[in-house]
Amino acid sequence: MTSIAHGLVSRSDLPIPEWLFGWAAAMVLVVSFVALAILWPEPRLERERWRPLPGELGRLFGSRPVEFLCGAIGVFLLGVVVYTGLRGTQSPTANFAPPFIYVIFWLGLLPVSILFGDVFKAFNPWRAIGRTVGWIGGKAARGGLPAALAYPERLGHWPAAAGIFAFAVMELVAANGDRPENLAIATLVYSALTFVAMALYGVETWIARGEAFSVYFNLFSRISPFETRHRVVGLRQPLAGLPALRPLAGTVPLLAVMIGTVTFDGASEAPIWTGIAPDIANLFQDIGVSPQNSLELTFLIGLTATVLLVYGFYRLGALGAKSVGGGFSSTRLARGFVHSLVPIAFAYVAAHYLTLLLFQGQSIAFLASDPLGDGSNLFGTADSQIDYTIIGANATWYWQVGFVVVGHVAALTLAHDRALALYDHARLAVRSQYWMLAVMVGFTSLALWLLSQANA
Amino acid sequence: MYVAHVGHWLVNVAYFLPVVAFLAWLIVTQLKERRRSRSGG
Repeated sequence: MTSIAHGLVSRSDLPIPEWLFGWAAAMVLVVSFVALAILWPEPRLERERWRPLPGELGRLFGSRPVEFLCGAIGVFLLGVVVYTGLRGTQSPTANFAPPFIYVIFWLGLLPVSILFGDVFKAFNPWRAIGRTVGWIGGKAARGGLPAALAYPERLGHWPAAAGIFAFAVMELVAANGDRPENLAIATLVYSALTFVAMALYGVETWIARGEAFSVYFNLFSRISPFETRHRVVGLRQPLAGLPALRPLAGTVPLLAVMIGTVTFDGASEAPIWTGIAPDIANLFQDIGVSPQNSLELTFLIGLTATVLLVYGFYRLGALGAKSVGGGFSSTRLARGFVHSLVPIAFAYVAAHYLTLLLFQGQSIAFLASDPLGDGSNLFGTADSQIDYTIIGANATWYWQVGFVVVGHVAALTLAHDRALALYDHARLAVRSQYWMLAVMVGFTSLALWLLSQANA
Repeated sequence: MYVAHVGHWLVNVAYFLPVVAFLAWLIVTQLKERRRSRSGG
């Protein structure tokens, strides 16, 4: 079942070899690059253009009652996850908590954010609880609540990067990371840490910078044409939210974590990893570490190394861009172009987890009726089953290639637009983008190779 | 062993040929340009 869920079904009748798709994708990027250099002479995405939704729709969607309702749903779902994780069956596929966290929340919210904007902010249970407690505390305390501490600049997005990395460790490294009870406890621990951080630095500050999932989904929501400003939902150009991203300390590592963790998930199925992983695990066993812990440490090393490789590759691109001149440091360039990595992160997640979302996402229909796995049938859907025929192997491959190409062309467009705004001379801007093009072609090749490994 | 399984890893290498080729071209052009600007200045 896992192999089908991950799209590991054979594609025997593709018209050309899979690696040739990689070459074609690289060609698409080169042609896009040339087209951008000729047809896109001025920065267009950097300009702020936002208008509220027509009529009263924008105000309605951004209103307090809607926000309260969404927050209440978020808190309810958080409660269901913790309750089912602790009290339900410990079979990961028969309990509501694991598929909800790893598929519906982690993967399902991604396309929702891309299409409709920062939806998670409205449903965020920690924000809803934090704001409610803050409001009650403010009313109850006579002199008002003490002011929040100033958020340390050097922390930047580092807590979010650490949070996403920890989530990936739970999903990809921990042997019992899908055990419902462990997930419920991890949720409680994360909730406690979030509440402490909110109490220290303020709810909105922590949500905007430190809370891992808020930052994660907010980054993707910047691709969307919808944005909420001052409680009004409005429209902007697609992608235009990304140039407005203010890079902080840790923003580049955060994107490296986002891309690197998916990369490792794909690479861990490849012979290159399955060949060396046992050898590394044996080294740990030789010094007395248990077999299970040895394997976990091996996967932790693999995950960390992959994130560092992705980070290093991007920094090399920035170093190359620096070499063309313009007087910018490579750190400045790395931060200046980091927003262009967001569509790449989307492409990686969408392509790698497409079938997992489409197939395992259906399990929520029967798990909603039987969340504890005890045979109950709350909504009459407990007998529904996963339909594995909704998408074929070849169609999956074409969608995956499509996501990879579109994501990288979007990244190229964002980088080109930023270069035009950054450099005084258009020629220098284009030359600096040779290096970013190399980064994009590299990530494209890697993405398609990873997908092919799932079929190896 | 690696020679015997050349077909397996050659396919993997094929994926990364575009980026290797592009990087090689980029480095060569940049070096040429530097040499030209040095001899010109």
